[in-house]
Amino acid sequence: MTEPRVIRFRLNGEWVQLGVAPNELLINVLRERLHLTGTKYWCGIGECGGCTVLLDGEPVLSCLTLAVDVDGREITTIEGLATGEDDLTPLQRAFIEEGAIQCGFCTPGFILTAQALLRENPNPTEEEIREYVRGNLCRCTGYVNIVRAIKRAASEAAKSRRPGPAAGAASG
Amino acid sequence: MSAGGRFRFVGVRVGRKDGVLKATGRATYAYDVWLPGMLYGRILKSPYAHAEVRVDATEAERLGAVVLTPRDVPDVLFNPRLVSVEEDTFKDWRVLTEHPRYVGEPVAAVAAASEEAAQRALEAIKLEPVRVYKPLLDPFEATRPGSPAIHERIMRGGAWVNVEDNVACTLEYSEGDVDRALSEADVVVERRFHTNRRYHLQPEPKVAVSRPDPDGGVTVWTTTQTIHNTKILISQVFGIPQSKVRVKKVFLGGGFGSSIHTNLVTLVAVALSRKARRPVKIALTREEDMMHDHVSFEMYLRIRAGARRNGRLSGAEFENVMDVGAHQIQPYPLLGTALGWFVSLYKWRAIRYFGRAVYTNKVPSCALRGYGNPQVTWAVETVVDELAEELGVDPVEFRLKNYVGKGDLFWGQGPTVKSIIRSDGVPELMRRGAELIGWRNRPRPGEQTGRYRRGIGVARGFHTSGAGGPLSGSVIDYSGAFLKVNEDGSVDYVTALQDHGGGTLDAHAKIIAEELCIPLEKVNVVWSDSSTTVYDVCTHASRGVYVGGEAARRAAREVKRKILEYAVRILNVAVGPEALRVRYDEELGDAVIYVEGSDAQTTLSEVARTAWQRNWGSISASVSFRATAAPPSFTAYFVEVEVDTETGRVRPVRVVAGADIGKVINPELAEGQVQGGFVMGWGWAVLEDTPYNPETGALENMGFITDYKAPTAGDIPPIEDFRVIFADTYEPTGPFGAKGIGEAASNPVAAAVANAIYDAIGIRFYELPITPERILRALRERERASGENPPRRRGVA
Ligand code: FES
Ligand code: FES
Repeated sequence: MTEPRVIRFRLNGEWVQLGVAPNELLINVLRERLHLTGTKYWCGIGECGGCTVLLDGEPVLSCLTLAVDVDGREITTIEGLATGEDDLTPLQRAFIEEGAIQCGFCTPGFILTAQALLRENPNPTEEEIREYVRGNLCRCTGYVNIVRAIKRAASEAAKSRRPGPAAGAASG
Repeated sequence: MSAGGRFRFVGVRVGRKDGVLKATGRATYAYDVWLPGMLYGRILKSPYAHAEVRVDATEAERLGAVVLTPRDVPDVLFNPRLVSVEEDTFKDWRVLTEHPRYVGEPVAAVAAASEEAAQRALEAIKLEPVRVYKPLLDPFEATRPGSPAIHERIMRGGAWVNVEDNVACTLEYSEGDVDRALSEADVVVERRFHTNRRYHLQPEPKVAVSRPDPDGGVTVWTTTQTIHNTKILISQVFGIPQSKVRVKKVFLGGGFGSSIHTNLVTLVAVALSRKARRPVKIALTREEDMMHDHVSFEMYLRIRAGARRNGRLSGAEFENVMDVGAHQIQPYPLLGTALGWFVSLYKWRAIRYFGRAVYTNKVPSCALRGYGNPQVTWAVETVVDELAEELGVDPVEFRLKNYVGKGDLFWGQGPTVKSIIRSDGVPELMRRGAELIGWRNRPRPGEQTGRYRRGIGVARGFHTSGAGGPLSGSVIDYSGAFLKVNEDGSVDYVTALQDHGGGTLDAHAKIIAEELCIPLEKVNVVWSDSSTTVYDVCTHASRGVYVGGEAARRAAREVKRKILEYAVRILNVAVGPEALRVRYDEELGDAVIYVEGSDAQTTLSEVARTAWQRNWGSISASVSFRATAAPPSFTAYFVEVEVDTETGRVRPVRVVAGADIGKVINPELAEGQVQGGFVMGWGWAVLEDTPYNPETGALENMGFITDYKAPTAGDIPPIEDFRVIFADTYEPTGPFGAKGIGEAASNPVAAAVANAIYDAIGIRFYELPITPERILRALRERERASGENPPRRRGVA
């Protein structure tokens, strides 16, 4: 067996340090070792977007990311956006209110992906939204309300003239 | 009749109750369960489609793994789906077997401290083939005399039955003189259909965590649509009393029918954990889930139907051969429901049915959103379209003239579950839908010439709301609810019913809040288990709101009765509970209980507090409820598609999806179900299939989602071109007038899409999915046959 390596990264705003095997995947470190189970496994091979996390604000698939590669960097998982009802981000709120959540298994991946989209492009067209979230599968909603929720979060952000997109993605 | 405007919560848009948990990643699914000291299990799957094997696990044991072979599991035959009564349940499964009958059938299992160690142990197990049979992949080949027997004998209920020619079970039925009806018909259409074998692609792969308990029992967390039937099956297979089997309710990452039966992982995990004396978790990978675990029923249908010049159907023959795979997950009731779907769509007047379920060496088939209904509806709605065309009548009018609607006898769930239809929004949905899509101005088949050709198709369908009826029948269908009022007037609602995400439990909470006149936030839906809930059969058959919701309403009514009795004592002026009225006070956030024409009033919280302080005792109710009807929720879809004749690709342009679900309790969630149902149906119509390698009997698609081709956000029409409409109806037997929705939402989709494709290019397809390759081939063939077809005449709109 190969030697474990000690890595240190900022996870949802706090530094964590742990030893990982060189072939250990980020999704397993998050889910199995740190018990952050909001990051979902559907496929393990980059086909569904359910395991999306933000790496320095950019969406990455944690099932295709080696844990050693996040050494010294910043990871945001769904748990990092809000802890409950009162600190939900506008995107989370829009997902809840627009009926964009059914079984919820795709929800964390969609919300993080959408967050990255709105950071890159605060005013996306419907076409741009669909294109951006194409890699995220949802088997329940038929996507309509998801696209609608993202649109709504974007227009609300525009209305309130906030400088950044949603709260919680702030990279350090 | 609809009491619409008066409701406080029913029919009102509010964000779903579990939304915050799900949006913040805090909802716990079975896949997320982790217990201290837990081992990880892996299952050794047969690489053979049909063989007898010998298992040598010495090496795996030497590696320190806990190993389970067929000799370590109880020698019990079972059927994993316990929705039918015992005498109609066919048993041919074992937990592990040395006689695997499909590629992927569990043969042995291991558990170790990590998944990696378990995998290594798994690879150390030797499988020695003692005898390898030629795989039978085609049901018609399987029934040919001389084909190897997949099962020699199986059990029906408690009795052994011999299997002849690999026929798993059959059902025949007839009514009226079909031969005469067809010979006197003015037009007769006969068609053969072949459906795809679809995979659920539910987001959460199957998983189970089992913990052996000191009392000799087990506690189980698993992907299931029914905690009680899972409890019963574990009890039956392992001989543990049901009181010692606790199946916990956890969030379910989609089911779509794939966990109405107890998934095999659950039983293997229980067996492993009992042997290891430690908790064991088995989580299937996506590849395993797709390649080895569950698919829909593949059907070969033949319909011969006739109609008269007066626009009425006169008779039909219906033949249904189902490829059920290597084991039965109750195709027998499906033979009945397939007939039920058929006879309940249209008034055929005379019918003859022949249904046969056949074993093959493929992954066992189970329900998939609609339980055979989308398959049957696709075939029927194609034939009905063709008959209308032959008769020269408008397909919408032809349907309206012949469909089974209000006042008609309805037996969607098969011949043993009958009731009369009391609410029917079909005419409204068909007329409004036609209007919105521009039905009258649709193109005529074959009249277009460019590269991109558009067409509009219509199809209608329905699904039952549960499987209840006035007679007991062969389907088990009842639900339970337990409701208690806390000492501050908030309530806890305890139910076994699973919510797959469709919003079933939100609907229940609303129903309870409505009945008790309290704010929705005061209704807590308790995360319970099989030992603390009253029996509920399963969340399937679109019964969650209709049956479970009514159980909740009855519990609430019972609780309300007790509240009023206590209120009489407090108010001291009313002559009895009947004299009291209850209203919701938004400012107080409470139910106000008052006497009309007097100042006397109290609140629910006051009643609850007083009952506690004065030792009157708790207010609670436990209800077990069986519905005496299973009313149809109707759907009618109009779809416009565009076919690219150069690539064969089809794209949805506009959709008008109409649904009659009675009173709509959760508007945004019901809309979501319709949208989701459409997109899932779209996938089945033009994208999804699981072909097998004819030599090895293994799935061609090696477990890749990308190869399976499920729809993505890029496959849906623009938001404003996707209209969902609800009929204004009220179902008198449902809670606050409601019916189900889950399955009706996807049942007519494939048919509407196929009819739209026909409208666009003038070609009918009798095999699903209608892939680009099939479209291109058909276009080429037509060209070769006759150059361009002259445009055909068709019915006047
Ligand atoms: S689990 Fe990572 S993309 Fe599917
Ligand atoms: S809500 Fe179930 S997969 Fe999207």
